[in-house]
Amino acid sequence: MKKSLLWRGLVVVMVLVFALSACAPKPEAPAAEEAPAAEEAAVEEPAAEEESAAGGMQIPEIVDGKYNVALVMLSVHDDAGWSQAQWEGLKYLEANGDNLHTTYVEAVAEGADSEQVFRALARKGFDVIIGGSFGYMDSMEMVAADFPGQYFIHISGFKANGENFGNLMGAMENMKYMAGMISGARNKLDGETKTGYIATFPIPEETRLGNAFALGLAKTCPECTMDVRWINTWHDPILEREAADSLFDAGANVVYTGADTPATALAAEDRGDVWGITYDWDGSCTADRCLTAPYWNWGPEFLRIVNGLNDESYTPGWDYFDSNEGGVGIFGLMEGQELTPGMLEIKEQAPEDWAMIVDTLAKLTSGEMDRFDVFAGPITDNQGNVVLAEGEMMEHADIDCFSAWGGCEVGMYWWNENVTAELPSLD
Amino acid sequence: MSESMTSNISPKGRFPFKLKIEPRLKSPSGWFSSMLSFLAVVLALLVGAGIIAAAGGEPWRAYAHIARSSFGSVGVFSDTMVKAIPLMLTGLACTVAFRMRLWNIGAEGQFFLGAWGASLVVLAPILPEETPQWIFIIVMSIVGIAMGAIYGFIPGFLKAKLNVNEIISTLMLNYIAVEWNNYFIYDKWSEGGFQMSKVFPRNAWLPRLADYAKEIPEFRGLTVHFGLVFAIIAAVVVWLILYKSQWGYEIRLIGDNPKAAEYAGIPIARNIILVMSLSGALAGLAGMSEITGVVHRLQGHISPGYGFTAIIIAWLAKLNPFAVLLVSVLFGALILAGREIQPSGVPTMIQGVIMVFLIASDFFMRYRIYFARRKEE
Amino acid sequence: MEMVSTMDQENEVRECRNVVCMRGIVKHFPGVLANDHVDFELREGEVHALLGENGAGKSTLMNILAGLYRQDEGLIEVNGKEVKFNSPRDAIAAGIGMVHQHFMLVPSQSVTENILLGLSEPRFRLNLPHYDAVVAQMAEEYGLHVDPRAKIWQLSVGEQQRVELLKMLYRGAEILIMDEPTAVLAPSEIDDLFVTLRAMTQKGKSITFISHKLHEVMAISNRVTVLRKGKVTSSGINIADTSRAGLANLMVGREVVFRVDKNEQEPGDVILSVDNIHAENNKGLKALNGITLNVRAGEIVGLAGVAGNGQRELADVITGLRKASEGQVIIGGEDITNLSPKAGIRKGVSHIPEDRTHVGTAPNLSVTDNVIMKNYTEEPIGKGWMVNDTAATKYARELKKAFDIIVPNVHTSVRLLSGGNLQKVILAREISKKPELLIAMQPTRGLDVGAIEGVQRLLLLQREAGSAVLLVSEELEELLSLSDRIYVIYEGEIMGEVADGDIEKIGLMMTGMQMEDIRLQGEKSNE
Repeated sequence: MKKSLLWRGLVVVMVLVFALSACAPKPEAPAAEEAPAAEEAAVEEPAAEEESAAGGMQIPEIVDGKYNVALVMLSVHDDAGWSQAQWEGLKYLEANGDNLHTTYVEAVAEGADSEQVFRALARKGFDVIIGGSFGYMDSMEMVAADFPGQYFIHISGFKANGENFGNLMGAMENMKYMAGMISGARNKLDGETKTGYIATFPIPEETRLGNAFALGLAKTCPECTMDVRWINTWHDPILEREAADSLFDAGANVVYTGADTPATALAAEDRGDVWGITYDWDGSCTADRCLTAPYWNWGPEFLRIVNGLNDESYTPGWDYFDSNEGGVGIFGLMEGQELTPGMLEIKEQAPEDWAMIVDTLAKLTSGEMDRFDVFAGPITDNQGNVVLAEGEMMEHADIDCFSAWGGCEVGMYWWNENVTAELPSLD
Repeated sequence: MSESMTSNISPKGRFPFKLKIEPRLKSPSGWFSSMLSFLAVVLALLVGAGIIAAAGGEPWRAYAHIARSSFGSVGVFSDTMVKAIPLMLTGLACTVAFRMRLWNIGAEGQFFLGAWGASLVVLAPILPEETPQWIFIIVMSIVGIAMGAIYGFIPGFLKAKLNVNEIISTLMLNYIAVEWNNYFIYDKWSEGGFQMSKVFPRNAWLPRLADYAKEIPEFRGLTVHFGLVFAIIAAVVVWLILYKSQWGYEIRLIGDNPKAAEYAGIPIARNIILVMSLSGALAGLAGMSEITGVVHRLQGHISPGYGFTAIIIAWLAKLNPFAVLLVSVLFGALILAGREIQPSGVPTMIQGVIMVFLIASDFFMRYRIYFARRKEE
Repeated sequence: MEMVSTMDQENEVRECRNVVCMRGIVKHFPGVLANDHVDFELREGEVHALLGENGAGKSTLMNILAGLYRQDEGLIEVNGKEVKFNSPRDAIAAGIGMVHQHFMLVPSQSVTENILLGLSEPRFRLNLPHYDAVVAQMAEEYGLHVDPRAKIWQLSVGEQQRVELLKMLYRGAEILIMDEPTAVLAPSEIDDLFVTLRAMTQKGKSITFISHKLHEVMAISNRVTVLRKGKVTSSGINIADTSRAGLANLMVGREVVFRVDKNEQEPGDVILSVDNIHAENNKGLKALNGITLNVRAGEIVGLAGVAGNGQRELADVITGLRKASEGQVIIGGEDITNLSPKAGIRKGVSHIPEDRTHVGTAPNLSVTDNVIMKNYTEEPIGKGWMVNDTAATKYARELKKAFDIIVPNVHTSVRLLSGGNLQKVILAREISKKPELLIAMQPTRGLDVGAIEGVQRLLLLQREAGSAVLLVSEELEELLSLSDRIYVIYEGEIMGEVADGDIEKIGLMMTGMQMEDIRLQGEKSNE
């Protein structure tokens, strides 16, 4: 009898454990989504398929005689966000590269837990290992030191060793600037002034992207303002949804997100009279109330870097590409895309704004304008201080730095004058 | 209620035998238990193979791959061990508490506090950066253990004095621990605005085998760290306490029948507090060894749920400290290698299937099934 | 379920005119034959008592009738039709409802909700006020007074029992089985219950009443069936045709209670002195109301009384398991009131608890671990901070031999032991310590005759060795044959002390009469 009590207790605990692990925001791969993967495998060369994929499953192994590339992702390959954009970049790489073999490992948690994954891939002999999330930085740095003959490319983050561990990021601020311009035009059309920003963590990247949007907003709608909500996560549909609702409730007409999920657009869809802007993946902006989506187009960048590493013309280090390389885009306006309903109205009813939008995008993609033009003076912060005077420009160091800690003159620890939120505390 | 079940597999008494299930009157022998667990795993793998095949994969290649990537070489085995170390220590933490039927499901939180305590030594700072490594290790261990123990003491005290359910309190304290940790990485010890502390000085790292690669080239890339020694010592200590000491006798007695323990004059409240503190101390040591052996800085994401997996490990190890070590290695391997099969959902499912089979196999430990001649009744 | 009807059995079947006929019921449990070809018949509108000692197979038989167990052999007829129950649900469908000793109620829900629980009606919309009224009316009809809207946890045990009865009546039970219904009730509640039972029989319900208390059986039932060790010793005799003594013989199967030889010896110093102890029971009700008694070295002092009059609480207070709100416990000249059990153990108090499995032993631990429970810190078993396994095993083996504990080896878990052997483990542990004071609660309950003799002899040996023994028992014969003096306890008070074994006086005091009053009465009648 006593024994059975022990068992009952244990069973209760086990159930709790399973419930807890189920509650953890662990993205699950829906079985139905395996179909595209299988199709993709069919496109691959038969030899590669035989070696790397056990039927519908992928097992990351190298293929001898090929140049082997592995991608490690935070979420699943079909997360409709950050990770999927990277995975599609990898597909692009496989399709367009020469004698390449690619594979991926998905749903790898950030932090120390990721080290073994990188180590295992390195040990198997992958020539290039791309890490797709900020929190892989330390693990990659450590493993890179142990495998000097192989290359480690880290997306986001702030470390590189100049030899085999390189940093890769791009000027997403240019596209956020575009999103800001579009939002301003949209607000004027709707007779509204407020917009909202769902920011993730208080790091330079997030204030940079927020300010870029705010500057673009001011271009088309000088009286418009932007409010901010911090959610401290990159991927949480629930929190994003709550933040979006909170911003809409506060009167925002357009809300855009710095996180991964399409929750913003879905919240806008439910309300029916406001707009959401998604992020990361060009397929994320499908809702009718989705205005646009700044997105990553990693394929060309991956190809450039991998080819460069293969023929030893590329040295890993600090790689920050601008919008003229095609690595970033704004959904609806890029080649081969259709305008979203929200943008079509701007085009038809506000031709002046529309011309300005199209013109700016043309300049950004041609290279006539770059990220330093986006952050060109005069810029005044929302406390009334001058950030950059007329004619002053930033340096690259300022782009990814909080001046509060040194390392840069201007930095990104400020909010543009049309932002109605306070800066996060950085004690 | 029902002490015995009888079920018939034959129609209307034509068959001269019937299947009987009844509770075992003797504990089955040791080999039976091991064989049963082994069979359960084999069966689970067969079912898992079915799942993989249904998902369009080749099960045997997948399994071969898992085995190869966990035990295939010294290098990957070292990785498996790195994964296993925090599981071993948190598993032992749960073992101690569960033995007394204290459901400490707060090993996760105690792990975080242990990691925080170790970080405190470097970041407060308690010791200057140039302190010799051995002093660093000793002081960080002590502070890490102490923090974990305090974090175990709190629910223990609440349970002993106010009869607060420890499942609830330890569960809730997990969240507090993570937020406490966040407060420091977001605010107090944040480096460059990122949610992490600065990297610890080399002297505050636990030695890894790879550190001796210069002297012994074979050690190159082997990241298994000194925490393994902690884990083995901890297992021996836990075994001595539970099975050799008077205190362990008290723990087992209270665990089996608290009323009998009270009747035998054993102070239950004091033991609740002590055992929860010891459990917390072990989980704290796990946090300390992970932060100083693997992560080398305080940050978020230091645990992929070690403290929760530990509950399952303690349970599968039947609360035997040495079995905890073994099961932790197997779990480390499963977690590590399972991730290499994409998409990632399938291996997780296989782990679940193995677990269910192991749990179900326990039925045969408690009941025996036999064919009985009808005449004999 | 299996068809049991073989050819010969069919030939044998007698016609069943009663509401329930059970024939040739056999039920095995591992190692035990709980029912050995038991016949049982229940007539319409009667209260039929099922009498027997603990473990006689009464509950097993009724659990079979209620669909909880299935018989290995034998058949059941209800209202003349053979039935096969696969679950209690089937039994209820046939009109048979059982009220268990442990109630199956949801504490946080109301009476009505508990009664409706598990029924197919109401299906979706719960119109509680309507059902409250239905329940209230039904309660009124049978005199089962309980507020339909009250939550179960707010009710007393007696009221909860009424809810169980209502539950069965609501489900249309015509045949009610009550498993030791009085065990949990206060005396006044017992009277209420009996009134209810009579009311129900008048409305045509038939009731089986499981008990091992003779006076209750005499008071309520029309007929009685007596079971002993799984066999029927007397089937369906009219209560009017029997006597308490007769039933007792059928129950225990021995005519004469043996007298144990006891040598004359002078008691020594007072070892245990209890002075004006007040304490509460587990429910927070007054259980002890100023108990004063003493026990001297070398004597056995009996504590007589009907179960539940504070015996257990008194033993708990003496051994430190329960706090006294007032009064003093002095053992060997030292005040140990409200100290931990450890203090008592150190003063040489041994305690044979009433509840062997829940208090006396740790079921999953080995015999060794169970016998060292009170001396694991002492040399040679305790060694520094360790337990010396070799010494402990040796000690356990010695006790196994000395007390004839039948067990394969000392590493076996005690949960696998039979009741008698379990009691031997406890006795071995408690007596081998050569206690100054031994508190023995119901030490022979549930044991077979041989074991009873053994235990009684051991108690006498303690007396000869100079221990003070406080013997708590419901078996008056046992108390009379072993004790030097007997206190009688009633509702937490000592009614008086008897040294001459006057069974009549003890009986009167057990029903609540003070010694003083008895003496006065005696004087009056003498005048």
